[in-house]
Amino acid sequence: MGEYWHSAAILALGLGILSAPGMLPAHALRVNVEADPATMDSIASSDKVANVILKNVYEGFTGERGDGTIVPALATSWDVLSQGKAIRFHLRTGVLFHSGRAFTAKDVKYTFETLLAPESRSGVTAEYLDDVVGAADVRSGKTKELEGVRIIDDHTVEIRFTKPDVLFPIYPIQFMDSGIVAELGPDWMSKASAGTGAFKFKRWRRGEEVDLEANQSYWGGAPKIDGVRFLIVPNLDTALSQYDAGELDVLDVQEAIFRRVLRDARYADQIQKTPRAQSRYLGMNQNLYAPFKDIRVRQAISLSIDRDALIRGLYDGAAYPLNGVITPGIEGFNPDLPALKYDPEKARKLLAQAGYPGGKGMPPIDISCTPPYKDEITYYASQFHRVLGMHVTVNVVERTTFIREMNIGKVAFFPWGWTAGYPDALSYLLEMWYGRSPYNRSQWRNARYDAVIDEAQATVDSRQRFALYHTAEKILMDDWVTAPLPMTAIIGLRKPNVKNVRLTPFGFEPFKDVEIH
Amino acid sequence: MLRSISVPPIFKFILRRMMGMLPILALVLVVTFLAAHALPGDPVQVMLSDHSANLQMALRLRAQYGLDQPLWRQFIAYAVGVLHGDFGLSFLQVGVPVTEVLREAVTISPLLALAALALALPLGTLAGVLAAVRRNTWVDHTIIVVLVAGLSIPNFAIATFLVYSFALKLEILPVAGWGSLEQAVLPVVVLAIPSAAYIARLARTFMLEALQQDYIRTARAKGLRERLVIGRHALRNIAVPLMTSAGVIFGGLVSNAFVVETIFNIPGLGRIAIDSIFARDYPVTMAIVVLFTVFFLFINLAVDFACVMIDPRLRARTLAS
Repeated sequence: MGEYWHSAAILALGLGILSAPGMLPAHALRVNVEADPATMDSIASSDKVANVILKNVYEGFTGERGDGTIVPALATSWDVLSQGKAIRFHLRTGVLFHSGRAFTAKDVKYTFETLLAPESRSGVTAEYLDDVVGAADVRSGKTKELEGVRIIDDHTVEIRFTKPDVLFPIYPIQFMDSGIVAELGPDWMSKASAGTGAFKFKRWRRGEEVDLEANQSYWGGAPKIDGVRFLIVPNLDTALSQYDAGELDVLDVQEAIFRRVLRDARYADQIQKTPRAQSRYLGMNQNLYAPFKDIRVRQAISLSIDRDALIRGLYDGAAYPLNGVITPGIEGFNPDLPALKYDPEKARKLLAQAGYPGGKGMPPIDISCTPPYKDEITYYASQFHRVLGMHVTVNVVERTTFIREMNIGKVAFFPWGWTAGYPDALSYLLEMWYGRSPYNRSQWRNARYDAVIDEAQATVDSRQRFALYHTAEKILMDDWVTAPLPMTAIIGLRKPNVKNVRLTPFGFEPFKDVEIH
Repeated sequence: MLRSISVPPIFKFILRRMMGMLPILALVLVVTFLAAHALPGDPVQVMLSDHSANLQMALRLRAQYGLDQPLWRQFIAYAVGVLHGDFGLSFLQVGVPVTEVLREAVTISPLLALAALALALPLGTLAGVLAAVRRNTWVDHTIIVVLVAGLSIPNFAIATFLVYSFALKLEILPVAGWGSLEQAVLPVVVLAIPSAAYIARLARTFMLEALQQDYIRTARAKGLRERLVIGRHALRNIAVPLMTSAGVIFGGLVSNAFVVETIFNIPGLGRIAIDSIFARDYPVTMAIVVLFTVFFLFINLAVDFACVMIDPRLRARTLAS
């Protein structure tokens, strides 16, 4: 029987030699991610993990800082023309792709065309191009050439839209090397890196880690670390143990271990915490439940939620109050909105005025959610019963079934959220509440609101635009369309010897300035 | 045809058993396919999540995955694909073939299981035999207590304790991962403990039974040294019943491996199976079920083959038919 152990040991040793740490960057930052990325192709990617990794490898026209301000990246400036129906971009000079080729206007056009081409299997990023002139023709396969993009010279490109789209510069479109497919074929992803970012894609060992190495010719200055290693650790307790043992430098603290981390004094000076750029709300579909049509009922429901208790109790402090639909750290956020106070007396009075004193006469209703939120809706159901006398049944539905039912507009009462796709409030206002948006889950329609949004999309001046955002948000809040719910926190841990790791409402900033002492 | 060529009966035995596996395989394919399609949750929602409200993308994905075809046609495509080793595309890793997702994991899990078995088998047999031979002494009682502990304490508790002691406190072993020899120590040990305990219990029972037999009394009467009595005669006779339990032992090893792989972050089939279930990545789950079924069928065949080779009585009976 001893021989088997020998063979197994030799095999294991062989495996160990094959994956020797000698091939990995010596002074690399080690971070955890919760799963393999679905793909490392910036065109096809749609998932969260791929985003976290790719934003270190690719860049777009702009980037954003932690406080929400937009900074130029591959576009140093732009001119908005024709009342927002065209934008001329001035691209940064002296930028090289990881292949050594220069970044020029043709790469911008190539990226757009690849995103729209039907055979590219592109992810959600392609949606941002829908308003570019000629986009529909490329999508349908009628042509490969995107009509709305005009290359003026190597560092100037003009883009025309079918309707004003002043936010185009801040959309998260990542520019890729137009020469890479010609050089390496359709399988280039496993062999090379096609971005301009501070780190180059080096290797992906499925199930284990994704390795990036430093880009020494990065236009913003070479990173001070040799690379970044994203270790794939699905189990958060294991990841926390690895952080304790020094096998991780930075920990992305997911919800499963919030409590452990927040309550442990050891981590107190290593914690970074920020509200998440996710607008959470309690959806009330007025078409599916008659009492929701009355504004007093909606207001009563919102006032009977004790948000402070929710943050302290259910979330253990890992949440922030939200008084509107625009979250902090996003351009257009209104810090002056009145705080939503818990007011059971007023709620009861409103409900009585609406004709349902003590909840009498209200048909029973289900409050539905996906499994992760079942504790939360149990709280709501019991609260609405206790304060208002409503009969609310908790209905926990498997995620994909839930989404399918929402897609056909069958869900009446539900907590949900929308994560901002780009650092501007329009991401919320347009996708969540605009009449024709497919993501308008409450199916609320208001012509005045839509008009304000249409106007905002064409308003170039930021201050005027933000004023329009505030107007739109006020329409929503005055109509008590929804009950805003507390935002969850994004929490990170970093070792004391690791500097310049920054956490934003969108997650960790790209690691280009990080130093390990 | 088979009668004219003189095929050794042992090959006929193997061939017959392999033909018997085919209907089981076909059944597994049908059942996993139907089960995956009966489950709640549309693949398109899995892939696109909230963005599945975008009808264009939803339609495109549906066509790419062949989900717009009638069910029977999807099954034929699936079955034909499996016979060619193509298990379709993953839902979670959009556009990636399932075989690509499983490629490296397929080598890791069997290695882990084998290493654990290589540790558990000698350890368990030794403990069981010792307990039986020194029956009702303090040796026997101690071993039984340890056995029961090994079987009763959940493996995640054992794992947590070992990780805490060796990785966090003493810092002589890494917390998780796979690839170096040190990373293999804790997972293999944690995986081996329940199997070793089970094997020890079986060995003890079989040994006690064997020691009551007449041939043992004869061997002792002949004047044989006790070590030979146990080592040569008794041990050989418990080999067959132990091996017959190999199927159960391997089943236990596989289900424990799922937990061990999750705790120690080993990218094996177990962890991928669990992750794929939670992520609703049905093609991957189905592929793993089919793989494990084939695996178990071959284990059973190997065990039967080994038993026939070791035990002359079985050999005669089986090959005569």
